[in-house]
Amino acid sequence: MTRFVLRRLLQSVVVLFGVTLVVFLLLQLVPGDPVRVALGTRFDQQTYDALRERSGLDRPLVAQYLSYVGHALTGDLGVSFRSGQPVTTIVLERLPATLSLAVTAVLLALLVAFPLGVLSAVRSGSALDHAARVFSQFGVSVPDFWMGIMGILLFAGVLGWLPPSGYVALTEDPARWASHVVLPATAVGLVTASILTRFIRSSVLEVLAEDYVRTAEAKGLRARIVVVRHVLRNALIPVVTVVAVQLASLVGGVIVIEVLFAWPGVGRLTYDAVQARDYPVLQGAVLFVAALFLLMNLLVDVLYARLDPRIGLR
Amino acid sequence: MTRSRMVGAVLALALAAAGCGAGDSVDVDGAGDTGGKGAGGTLNAAIGGEPDQLDPHRTSAYYSFQVLENVYDTLVEPGPDLRMGPSLATKWTTSADQLTWTFTLREGVRFSDGSPLTSEDVVYSYERIISEKLNQSYRFETVKSVTAPDPTTVVVALTKPTPNLLASLGGFKGVAIVEKSNVESGAIKTRPVGSGPFAVAGYTSGDSIQLTRNDNYWGPKPTLDGVRFTFVKDPTVALQNLRGGEVQWTDNLPPQQVAALKENGGDVTVESRSSTDYWYLALNEGRKPYDDVNVRRAIAFALDREAIAKAAKFGQATVNQTAIPKGSSWHFEYAPYRHDPAQARQLLGQAGVSGLTLDLMVTTEYPETVSAAQVIAAQLKDVGITVKIRTLDFAQWLDEQGRGAFDAFLLGWLGNIDPDEFYYAQHRTGATFNFHKYSNPAVDRLLDAGRTETDPAARKRTYDQAAKQIVDDASYIYLYNPDVVQGWSKQVTGYQVRSDRAIRFRDVALDR
Repeated sequence: MTRFVLRRLLQSVVVLFGVTLVVFLLLQLVPGDPVRVALGTRFDQQTYDALRERSGLDRPLVAQYLSYVGHALTGDLGVSFRSGQPVTTIVLERLPATLSLAVTAVLLALLVAFPLGVLSAVRSGSALDHAARVFSQFGVSVPDFWMGIMGILLFAGVLGWLPPSGYVALTEDPARWASHVVLPATAVGLVTASILTRFIRSSVLEVLAEDYVRTAEAKGLRARIVVVRHVLRNALIPVVTVVAVQLASLVGGVIVIEVLFAWPGVGRLTYDAVQARDYPVLQGAVLFVAALFLLMNLLVDVLYARLDPRIGLR
Repeated sequence: MTRSRMVGAVLALALAAAGCGAGDSVDVDGAGDTGGKGAGGTLNAAIGGEPDQLDPHRTSAYYSFQVLENVYDTLVEPGPDLRMGPSLATKWTTSADQLTWTFTLREGVRFSDGSPLTSEDVVYSYERIISEKLNQSYRFETVKSVTAPDPTTVVVALTKPTPNLLASLGGFKGVAIVEKSNVESGAIKTRPVGSGPFAVAGYTSGDSIQLTRNDNYWGPKPTLDGVRFTFVKDPTVALQNLRGGEVQWTDNLPPQQVAALKENGGDVTVESRSSTDYWYLALNEGRKPYDDVNVRRAIAFALDREAIAKAAKFGQATVNQTAIPKGSSWHFEYAPYRHDPAQARQLLGQAGVSGLTLDLMVTTEYPETVSAAQVIAAQLKDVGITVKIRTLDFAQWLDEQGRGAFDAFLLGWLGNIDPDEFYYAQHRTGATFNFHKYSNPAVDRLLDAGRTETDPAARKRTYDQAAKQIVDDASYIYLYNPDVVQGWSKQVTGYQVRSDRAIRFRDVALDR
């Protein structure tokens, strides 16, 4: 077990190394000059040259990359072109907002998807089953930003129940944090809920068809006990994986919703960094998200092995 | 011709009129106050994006200057009519040869951290911009030296007469007076220390910047306890915030709703003012057939500016065929191009051009260029020109512009005050922003002369001639001056929309 985890961690480092290289090379291909963007509309050539030199963009690419990796190994991800702040500080400042949004979204999604998925599997073919399928079709088809805007217009505009945008830290004022997080988390969580509903449904259906379930039923156990004790325990194993992957992808991917709701998370940071061609911040944000992904995957594998004795860690 | 002019005398009058006595304001603090006017409070303002950093000498983003306008002072500053008036300097004199300007500073000015602001700080600030070649260094091109003979005197020595020096030293907060220790500690990026009416008290990355009243401020103390700037990119969301009372001020309103809001905004006041920005179409004279003046003039005749302004700004703009808007003392009334497709076709025939395809570059950074392009494409189709619109993100757009890889582009120049800022860098042969490769020796001579002509009437005539020639040559095809549109709640009093887009909250009160 320990050996497995260590080996995986080592692999992760290699993957992250690859990520830095790919991102660095991709940024070279993306048109757009960070110095021009930073200077805006009025400056002279001397100013341009001076800033280019200060940002280290005048050095050869290989030198730029090697110095970046060298510093990254010591935990120094460089400084932002735009603000001059250390990238590590910037990304860490933005993580809590994104995590609180992603976790809330996934919890809301589970709250809907779990009962809906299980019920539509157990009562496969019923009206409820059809309704659940329509819901998940709707959820994956509707863009989250549209849901977000509709939510703002209805709950903030017409009804005035919720603030339309903005952020209050959970640690600062939980009640106000909750009122701010509801709309964006719902907009994001709808897609997640749809995916999870389908997944839970098919996973439960699969287990219901297993031999041991028939055995349990033949023993004369009541249907509810069968479902709860035998089916759910086994059906939820693959669901854990999907939830973890969804969570990881939300941390890296709630860009549009964060921009719409003025939510100060990593997604919005990434968006702004792309707009400004702030390479160090962009590289740092991608690296953080990739690391989180790898960590999540490792956790899932370990958890999986714990839940399902048929799987051994090698 | 040199005529010594004692600007100081004029200013002394202006000062007397403005009743400029520092520290004679009564401090109405919230103690024992039961609400109502002047009861302090924090004003929440929603702006469209986040400042990249708060160092006034290094940032170029308008979002930064919206905040910094309330934090920093400059030597002089533009009044409501954009004429330069006193700020940190109370008066100034110019030598007979126009090469030495002597500024007298206000006594007893302090930075928000309590340390005194003297002539040394002015010298330090200007030398920082010049020696580190920071963004505004081009404004100091003719400055030979900046010295501080005593704590309240600053002497600026020039290599040649510079009539627009005041606009260069006070046009906006990019030339603010900063504090040396604040710069050297690096704190200026997120916690800048200035001498303005408010001080930065907190900065939550991605969310908001909090200002509090600067009790060391030399001018009348602001009644507001503070201002909180939040960053809301989506205008619909910003408007909802204003309606719901989460914010009391925003300049990020959906353009298609502005007219209705002005008519009947309910609890929201929306006001607009013509700005000193101008938007234009530039044709690449380094490419055929756009080097032919007849082709450029044909395109100028083919455009219906009213329709373009309507599509791009929903009527929140004034059409103009020159750069400088009406209402500026530098405005020159000249509009030779009416919407005349027949005339356009005739000029194209004269130039021997037919079946032309024009590549027009626009950017999502300024959505109005994207909408304007659609209308322009339809209008040019009428005269037989096929427009291919390329929509790029701003970084890429700037790249293409720099490489000259375009037939035409649409963009605007923002926040201009002096005529030199309206014309020189764009139309002087080989100048920094002359990306469309316009070159006319007569215009060059006029633009050079305007930079050193110290007699205002003669200077006005020089720029009028330059403006006429630039329009006749269709170097830029000018389209419109957009309005500055801002909205605030009924609780806000004492706020004024300014044509240079400076956001000043120092005189604002909030009824609670």
